[in-house]
Amino acid sequence: MRASQLALLPILLAAGVAHAQDYLSCQLAPGWAQSEPKRQYTADNLYDYKDGGAEGYLIYGFVRMDGITCKSGASTLAIDVSEMNDADSAYGVFTANLDPKLPIARIGMGGQIQPQSALFAKGKYYIEIVAIDPNPSGDHTAELRAFVTGMQQHLQGRDTPPEALAWFPQESLASIRLVPESVLGLKQLKRGYVATYKQGQAFIVLEASPEAAAGVLKELRSHFDGASTAPVGDEAFQAKAPYMDGICIFRKGRYLGGYANLPAPQEACSQAAKLAAKLP
Amino acid sequence: MSSTTSRRDFLSAGLALPVLGAGSSMGFWSPDTPAPEAASPIKLSYRTLGKTGLKVTTVGFGCMITSDPSVVQRAADLGITYFDTARGYQRGNNERMVGAALGSKRKQVVLSTKTEARDKAGQLAELNTSLRELNTDYVDIWYLHGKGSPADIHDDMIEALQIAKQQGKARFIGVSTHSGQQQLLPWMAQKGVFDVVLAAFNFSMDPGMEQAIDAAAKAGMGVVAMKVMAGGSRNQKLAQNGAMLAALKWVVNHPNVATTVPSITDMDQLEQNLKAMGNPLSADDHKLLAAHLELIQPLYCRMCGKCEGTCAQGLPVADVLRFLTYADGYGQFALGREKFLELPATQIAARCSDCAECTVKCPFGVQVSDRMARAQELFA
Repeated sequence: MRASQLALLPILLAAGVAHAQDYLSCQLAPGWAQSEPKRQYTADNLYDYKDGGAEGYLIYGFVRMDGITCKSGASTLAIDVSEMNDADSAYGVFTANLDPKLPIARIGMGGQIQPQSALFAKGKYYIEIVAIDPNPSGDHTAELRAFVTGMQQHLQGRDTPPEALAWFPQESLASIRLVPESVLGLKQLKRGYVATYKQGQAFIVLEASPEAAAGVLKELRSHFDGASTAPVGDEAFQAKAPYMDGICIFRKGRYLGGYANLPAPQEACSQAAKLAAKLP
Repeated sequence: MSSTTSRRDFLSAGLALPVLGAGSSMGFWSPDTPAPEAASPIKLSYRTLGKTGLKVTTVGFGCMITSDPSVVQRAADLGITYFDTARGYQRGNNERMVGAALGSKRKQVVLSTKTEARDKAGQLAELNTSLRELNTDYVDIWYLHGKGSPADIHDDMIEALQIAKQQGKARFIGVSTHSGQQQLLPWMAQKGVFDVVLAAFNFSMDPGMEQAIDAAAKAGMGVVAMKVMAGGSRNQKLAQNGAMLAALKWVVNHPNVATTVPSITDMDQLEQNLKAMGNPLSADDHKLLAAHLELIQPLYCRMCGKCEGTCAQGLPVADVLRFLTYADGYGQFALGREKFLELPATQIAARCSDCAECTVKCPFGVQVSDRMARAQELFA
């Protein structure tokens, strides 16, 4: 780090601290008061707070977590803001935790509010608010919405979901999530988006270069005995395999994409062609 | 603890695993996989999970970060019999995935989940949700999740476990723990109400942990080990030199550990982990692990607290080493420096080079003065 950058550090750090105080306040909704000191965790000690669940954050590029507990009468709200490596990672951890049965609301890059919990991602931040209520059916939707609205105003960063989401065909789409490693359970597909449909799954993985993507495709193809060439994207193959049924994997530039779990490889390639057409 | 090793052919789904010890070859993708005799069958080893009497493979499956159900399905097809999840993993999405993946295999495996709820009513409500998401009438083991000391385990929590057992919703009950284990395990052994403990255990831990494991097993508790690779699956150095399998074998070969739950996200990891069964820890494995220990020993503070108050300049050694780990271990330089600069001015200004000899002696061999000097150079 250069001396000029080092000189700026205390200012930047101070700005970060002040910023954290803005979005972590129990006064974002009327009637709530802070009940215990703010908490802070890093990758080093997140286990102390999340136990084994910490890995579910670390695998998405977790940087730090700031949290606060607010009380109103007998009800408690635990608010945790996780800073991730980047906005895509924040959206990724949100997709891992959302309820796939519920729609995604336009809160930041995306969010969900339920009677006793709220989740959303904005910029490189992933926010979870959990209500702890002696009444198991207590409805805190209004308060949660107030906190979410207040926090959104103070948090910096992107409000639009990753553009890759728009590339997946929308018909019969059930959910999309960022898989942080081993897409479709394949080590070679390191990290990417997986869309689940009423039937089958689609995926998109971005490699560093077209050459790198071609190398991965070649390696993958060698593992599927009986794979045959398919006319999708720049190059592709199709196969039938245990656990995956009909599969079709293609490369288009730096992207790898494809479909799996369709009855026949030809059907997978037919769907994959639609996905390939949408990729830049 | 009883231990048996058996051979098994895994071809119910037209699958065959490559020869043990051979390089990774995912020939199993073909529906026309060779006949059983063409590929060497894998050896599964089993142990009895303490007083539960459950027979489990010594390598189980930690489902927490698994995204794709096909990996769970394949593990079950291959004969893995222990699968671990928790209510809190991905806010229930993990339980849902595991339940769907196991499907008709559910009753052929031992399935465990955990509750983080802090009171009896909350725990029992969570169990009902877990059963619904896992698509099952019962779990084989239901754990209190992540307890660090006896004080964390209240009587009403134990009561909830016992109610679940009486109702047949949980066959056996236990506690999972990541910290304070050397106090917690003997307490659990003495308490006598727990059937199983899920504890962090690996080659890098101090011998006291082995004694705690032994005490738990002696009391009849089934011991399930997690964190078996000492962070290896995310540790590039450990992965690169092939020590991950050795790390898993180290735990599997411990006679008082019934099974292990390494995280598995893909078919290659699954295949690799299966090799830990039926293979003794070799001299080469010992060398790999010793080399890795040597690598980490001088660098990373184990937070045992034994250096507290021993620095002649009054420096908070463990804290400063932790700040250095933020920078060196996690690439979080700004955070490390931020924390360092929160120390009192006298501590920020102190230099280890001012002392002729370091008074801090780390029982784990961390080179304290070198590491402190690096922190001072980097942050101050």
